[in-house]
Amino acid sequence: MKGLAKWVGNGSYLSVFLALTLASPVLAETPEPHPGTRPMPLPPVTAPEAPATAESDPLESLNRKIFWFNDKLDVYVLEPAAKGWDFVMPNRVQTCVSNFFYNLRFPIETLNDLLQGKVQYAVSDVGRFFVNTTVGIAGFFDPATSLGMELHWEDFGQTLGWWGVGTGPYLMLPILGPSNIRDAGGLIVDTASSITPFFVSGYYPLAARTVDIVNTRAVYADTIHRAKGSSFDYYAFVRNAYLQRRAGLVNDEAPATEKSQEELYHPEGD
Amino acid sequence: MAVKSRRFWSMSGLLVTLLVMLARTSPAADAPRDVVRRMSDAVVAVLQEKNLSADAKRDKIRGIVEGYVDFPTMARLVLARNWSGLDDSKKGEFTEEFKQHLSLTYGKNVETYNNEKVQITGDRDEGRGDWSVQTKILHPQGGGDILVDYRLRQLSGEWKVIDLAIERVSLVSSFRSQFQEVMANGGIDRLLKLLREKNAAGQPLKS
Repeated sequence: MKGLAKWVGNGSYLSVFLALTLASPVLAETPEPHPGTRPMPLPPVTAPEAPATAESDPLESLNRKIFWFNDKLDVYVLEPAAKGWDFVMPNRVQTCVSNFFYNLRFPIETLNDLLQGKVQYAVSDVGRFFVNTTVGIAGFFDPATSLGMELHWEDFGQTLGWWGVGTGPYLMLPILGPSNIRDAGGLIVDTASSITPFFVSGYYPLAARTVDIVNTRAVYADTIHRAKGSSFDYYAFVRNAYLQRRAGLVNDEAPATEKSQEELYHPEGD
Repeated sequence: MAVKSRRFWSMSGLLVTLLVMLARTSPAADAPRDVVRRMSDAVVAVLQEKNLSADAKRDKIRGIVEGYVDFPTMARLVLARNWSGLDDSKKGEFTEEFKQHLSLTYGKNVETYNNEKVQITGDRDEGRGDWSVQTKILHPQGGGDILVDYRLRQLSGEWKVIDLAIERVSLVSSFRSQFQEVMANGGIDRLLKLLREKNAAGQPLKS
């Protein structure tokens, strides 16, 4: 289950709607009050954060083409691979694999906790890493959660958002899925601060990444199947889920902005 | 004597105040939080019944949910600015088909129920007569909790659910953006056609 957050963090399109249907433990932020003190928002560098309901998508025609490509890739490559994996691997093993890869995100998590002034989260995430790496046998198990060190999903895109940087236009990345200018930039920083480049070289990171992706796809196979089947415009569905989900992550527990609430619940100015 | 009667008056004054307060707070039994609590309890109770078929459970849950959710308002919010241009029969038809779609889509979750519990974590005034209630669906093995927020509005004195957000993704917002895309190329007729097709295909027990 834990792998899901990575998909969202990496902007993978498969994961976004997982938020919509019954999704992940990982995505759930802890219900503590916002631990960091939010800075005064900087003037928006790009476009201001769009309300989740009026979706601006200036690159829509390009995005839809890339989305189409991604979907074909999913249908013909990823989904069959995930089915095979699911056939061979028991669900418990899949969970362990997800845990393992999530544990490796530790430097990214901690760095971004600190950049957002969430010291409590940072302490908890360092603790998580040590507990899960030792007691949890190299991260395959997650005893830390039951010890109260819950998972937080943080990435550099969120950090930028937290500091008031606007999202810029919605962007569909080839293979990696839904994103926006800000989060795509954040992805580069996340990759640079990930643990793998320092310890392994050659094709291993690539192989590991493949296992990670296929495993996550397998874990969420049912959810994805259902989302595809029940949506009316799959592209719009994924875009909307991505925008809402990311805004929710950046705001943590804070309520949505008044403007977006107004648009959502009083659309006719009533 | 004077002291006694003064005490009597102050006591009865206190009593009256208490009664007034009680009368005021008695609708608190129907506060948004309690509404969500009762709905969740009722649904979970049905899910936990061992001797019911999945279809029987679905029917029962549909009955419960209809008492708590204001589908006409939800439908109106989903169509947003497209709503006012519709005539009454189209509005009614859309509301019915949309409700059907929701019950088919979410009804599938009945089979995957795995002893999850609902915990209410907070509620707040959202202004302009709306109220929100924050809940968590607790996974039995710990971890894996899912955040579900309800938005309620008062309809002739009763709080009704008008939207829910799973992991911060609002249902109204999600359908609105999809339906806008559909209506932009084909209007309400195309949307209704798609809804009818999906609902027909989604009916359980086709075989």
